[in-house]
Amino acid sequence: MPSTTGHDTRPVMGAAVLSVRGLSKTFPGVHALDGVDFTAHAGEVHALIGENGAGKSTLIKVLTGVYRPDPAATPGTGVITYDGSEVEFTTPLAAQHAGISTIYQEVNLVPLMSVARNLFLGREPRGRLGLIDFRRMHREAEQALRDLGVRVDVRRPLRELGVGAQQMVALARAVAVDARVVIMDEPTSSLEPREVATLFGVIRMLRARGVAVIYVSHRLDELYEVCDTVTVLRDGTSVHSGPIAELDRLRLVSLMLGREVGDVRDEGLTNFSGNHDTEAQPILEAQELTVHHQLRGVSLAIRPGEVVGLGGLLGSGRSETAKAIAGALPPDSGRVVVAGAAVRTGSTPAAIRAGVSLLPEDRKAEGIVPGLSVRENIALAALPGLSRFGLVDEARIDRVVDTFMKRLRIKASGPHQRVGELSGGNQQKVLLARWLAMNPKVLLLDEPTRGIDVGAKAEVQKLIDELADDGLGVLLISSDVEELIEGSDRVVVLKDGAVVEELTGDAVTEDRLLRAIAAAPATTADPRTRGGDDD
Amino acid sequence: MTDLSLGGRTRVDRDRLLHLLQNYGVHLGVAVLLLVNIAITPHFLSAENFRTQAVQVAPVLVVALGMALAIGSEGVDLSVGSVMALSTSLLSLYLGYGMWIALLIAVLGGVAVGVTNGALVAFIGVQPIVATLALMVAGRGLAQVLLPQLKDVRDPTMASLGSGDLLGVPYLVLIAVALALLVAFVVRRTTFGRQLLAIGDSRPAAKLAGLPVRRVLILVYVCSGALAAIAGVLATARLTASDPTSLGNLMELSAITAVVVGGTPLSGGRVRVGGTVAGAVLIQLLTATLIKHDLPPSWTQIAQAVVIILAVYAARERGRR
Amino acid sequence: MKPNIFLRRTSGRSGRASASTLLAVGLAASLALTATGCAKSEDDDADSGDSTSASEGDAGQVVSSPGAGAETCVIGDYGAEKLDLKTATVGFSQSEKEANPFRIAETASIKAEAGKRGVKLLTANAQSQFSKQISDVQDLIAKGADLLVIAPLNSDGWEPVLRQAKAKHIPIVTIDRKINAAACKDYVSFIGSDFVEQGRRAADRMIEATGGKGELAILLGAAGNNVTTDRTKGFQEQLKKKAPDLKVVFKQTGEFAREKGQQVTEQLIQSKPGIDGIYAENDEMGLGAVGALKGAGKKAGDVKIVTIDGTKNAVRGIVDGWIDGVIESNPRFGPLAFQTLDTFTKGGKVAQDIVIKDSAYTKDNAKSDLGKAY
Repeated sequence: MPSTTGHDTRPVMGAAVLSVRGLSKTFPGVHALDGVDFTAHAGEVHALIGENGAGKSTLIKVLTGVYRPDPAATPGTGVITYDGSEVEFTTPLAAQHAGISTIYQEVNLVPLMSVARNLFLGREPRGRLGLIDFRRMHREAEQALRDLGVRVDVRRPLRELGVGAQQMVALARAVAVDARVVIMDEPTSSLEPREVATLFGVIRMLRARGVAVIYVSHRLDELYEVCDTVTVLRDGTSVHSGPIAELDRLRLVSLMLGREVGDVRDEGLTNFSGNHDTEAQPILEAQELTVHHQLRGVSLAIRPGEVVGLGGLLGSGRSETAKAIAGALPPDSGRVVVAGAAVRTGSTPAAIRAGVSLLPEDRKAEGIVPGLSVRENIALAALPGLSRFGLVDEARIDRVVDTFMKRLRIKASGPHQRVGELSGGNQQKVLLARWLAMNPKVLLLDEPTRGIDVGAKAEVQKLIDELADDGLGVLLISSDVEELIEGSDRVVVLKDGAVVEELTGDAVTEDRLLRAIAAAPATTADPRTRGGDDD
Repeated sequence: MTDLSLGGRTRVDRDRLLHLLQNYGVHLGVAVLLLVNIAITPHFLSAENFRTQAVQVAPVLVVALGMALAIGSEGVDLSVGSVMALSTSLLSLYLGYGMWIALLIAVLGGVAVGVTNGALVAFIGVQPIVATLALMVAGRGLAQVLLPQLKDVRDPTMASLGSGDLLGVPYLVLIAVALALLVAFVVRRTTFGRQLLAIGDSRPAAKLAGLPVRRVLILVYVCSGALAAIAGVLATARLTASDPTSLGNLMELSAITAVVVGGTPLSGGRVRVGGTVAGAVLIQLLTATLIKHDLPPSWTQIAQAVVIILAVYAARERGRR
Repeated sequence: MKPNIFLRRTSGRSGRASASTLLAVGLAASLALTATGCAKSEDDDADSGDSTSASEGDAGQVVSSPGAGAETCVIGDYGAEKLDLKTATVGFSQSEKEANPFRIAETASIKAEAGKRGVKLLTANAQSQFSKQISDVQDLIAKGADLLVIAPLNSDGWEPVLRQAKAKHIPIVTIDRKINAAACKDYVSFIGSDFVEQGRRAADRMIEATGGKGELAILLGAAGNNVTTDRTKGFQEQLKKKAPDLKVVFKQTGEFAREKGQQVTEQLIQSKPGIDGIYAENDEMGLGAVGALKGAGKKAGDVKIVTIDGTKNAVRGIVDGWIDGVIESNPRFGPLAFQTLDTFTKGGKVAQDIVIKDSAYTKDNAKSDLGKAY
């Protein structure tokens, strides 16, 4: 990759490459898109934002040939114009061949195939006899990834890589094909800052090449850093389109939410942390937790009513610490003491009985049981307590479910709706309810607000605060530095599987946190913590 | 993201209709087959005939109930046919002590196979299809070691179990219905049932939620083994002979077919007992129709294949939503 | 018989799978120990009087078409050397597990005859796996068999073994199934039944029992099996020729198994209550048919049943009046096989195709000949 980060070339915006006018897409009963106008120009990074349900995903799927737009009501509308002429992509492959490349939020590669094969899937270099030239493929794959700052063994199956590294593979794949339009759907949601910087470098390079980049993200900082123009979608229509520099953050958020500035301030952007009592005896103590290759003697304490943040980069051992405390990752040595009594490590049921509950990072795969109802999901862990002689007590479950659905303001059509159909924020609330039904002493929250929309995020943050007020000990893991600083009373900073600093009181600032992370000798590319680790 | 979750009225209605059709298609199939047979098959509408169909389907249904549990836990139990053979061998060997003791031992044999299956799956982490395949081979082999060839059963209690009835309903049918109700109750009303579904839907989530995953999985295969053993006893009683060589041959396929046709997804997380009953009945009626009209046996297989494909198609539609 | 094919599928799987197989075998062994340790079958005593050994009675086979005009073979043509059977080693390769009466009786007969003649016998069982049978036979040759008796699983695919035997000048006699090779060149003789003829004789019995008029059902054997095809062919040919008024109105497979025979017959008597006769292509399906008829409240003799094989249970069915005729398919190859080998190795002439004469059981001889049934 040619380094473009040094000289920020911001070229004059080119011609419109991909545009739609008055585009609608109806699903039975739903106007997912209702007359959207959108134009992406060559050499522009175009932010596409909106709350969940605003229609971003649908628009992208229409642009990439996954969905077909509704037939136009009036001539000249409802069509996709690509490179000056009207087009109709019947399949995603057709869009790809035309030069529209997409990187999805959830990596859509083949987990069992090697990294290199994923990179070259469908366009493998062939040798004589038409066989795949593996040597060349591996060499080129390694080169392509090194350009993006990723060093991995390209012969390993993709699934052995961390989520961040997988995302970079997807990016490398998209960049490698000659695309006129690159669509990125929340590309940074599982990247660490260093990788984000690389990504932005790639985006600027693409822009310099005259590629139109459509960038979907929830992170406002990123938008202002990398985007030129912005289109805001709300309820299936485009409510604003223009240069991003002309909008301040507050205005942008209020456009997204469709609320007045004052409301937003109340709900979303204020600190969500109160200052909690930090004098009491610890309710939970982790002592010298060590897991081969992952944790090196991590110790921390959580007091009742306290939110302890766990800071650090991707791969620093944050999720592993939480999992080891929750019994989901058996430690080689170390103890977990809850309310003065040692808990058997390596056993989730034992940890749960002791009052320690984990909200896992991968909500969809490890948290919710998607096919079961809201009700069953909430009652899942507490089931033995809600049963007599192995028979479930439906009336008691109904009471518990009702209580928590109200208390956590879970939005669902009813307790019998399948959890898989809920929005991310509501799924997270269901998980919280599952644990609150157990009367826990300590909640371990691993990225509780990742991938959920702004409104729900604020609500979840507020809930965390309330729970701490009620006397729960909370361990909060977040890649969102702002959230971590504002939400925590104390921040324990991890690096390479060990605690490097603990920020308390006035020292809990973004500045100090970043310095703490940066302070320790920066060993780039430590083979132990890279790749296989899915923090 | 979830643009689609904003449900409009019409969509919901259409969804509901589709949903109903997918969920109760198998019942509809049974109804259609009944009507067709009443119209075209001579002597179909007789108590004797229904009795025959019910008696023939009973052992398949009992096996399918256990299979539904295994499939609901995102597994499968290929050893059921062999467990039937093992059960019939044990039954024959111990019938000298009287039917009840022999029956107990036969069921214990099924439980033992179930424990082994479950332990392989839950503790060693062998894939269910491989673990139960091993037991499928070993179980049949053992059955034949215990009882090398067909042997007649002359015990009068067994004979009456096989051909007797209560108010005109054969014992076999009563037992199968009772077991179906029991399994339905277990799935719906017990913690075991709920946990089984959660584990089948998302094993990692169930684990992190602190569920006793291993215990539940072992219990699933124990249930499946015990039910298959009971089916072996029922089939033996009906045949009044123990035939470990051919009893239960390809039963695993019939059971899986009944479960899948009944709408239980192979991906786990759901157990449809009513659907499984209907699925077993559907296949039975289909076979009966073709036999009664003396169509070539290969037609039966083709017809079954068509039904399975339809069921899988319906399941795919379900999965997409 | 059937399930053994699955053995092949598990072998050579991953380490885990073999570990699981081990575990399974462990379980099997422990179960077997406990099971047999204190087992008490319902008729441990009653049955022992019944179980006749193969050598009992005049169980041995009789040649039905002795040499006249048929092609023969002498040792010179085959390229082997004379030897004395008494001092020779005979290898016997059985095709299927001895889990059904036919195979049990067949193996027992070979063993009994070898014992009687004082011949050293090596045996192997292919457990229904053809590849195993090939290696079985190769093993037998390696272990020093001078003569081979083979009950082939398949007709084809014998070239490697035949070549090996040829090189060592080992005479081969195949029993119950033929192999596709040149008689008196690749092997000496085939000894077996004529399944088409069995079908014809069953038709004769059926015509007699029904009086040559009415509607018939056939319970076919397993599909794609030459026994099924031949027994069907002979039966239908004979019917056409001798009793055109006997109509076959129902033909369904019972897979040679009692349970399947019973289920199919149950369907049959409901849809065609007026059926006059059932021809079952083996005894087991016939016994299943009897079970179905009993269950439907029919009386012995209401529906005529003719079966093929000659197992004890079926012959007892004649005595009880439920079955009207059993055409024998004699599995006791021992005496004839050894006699053929004896003659041949002494330099005598033997027929290339030795078709044995199967007897039949009817009301007249069932009771007296019950001991001959296997």
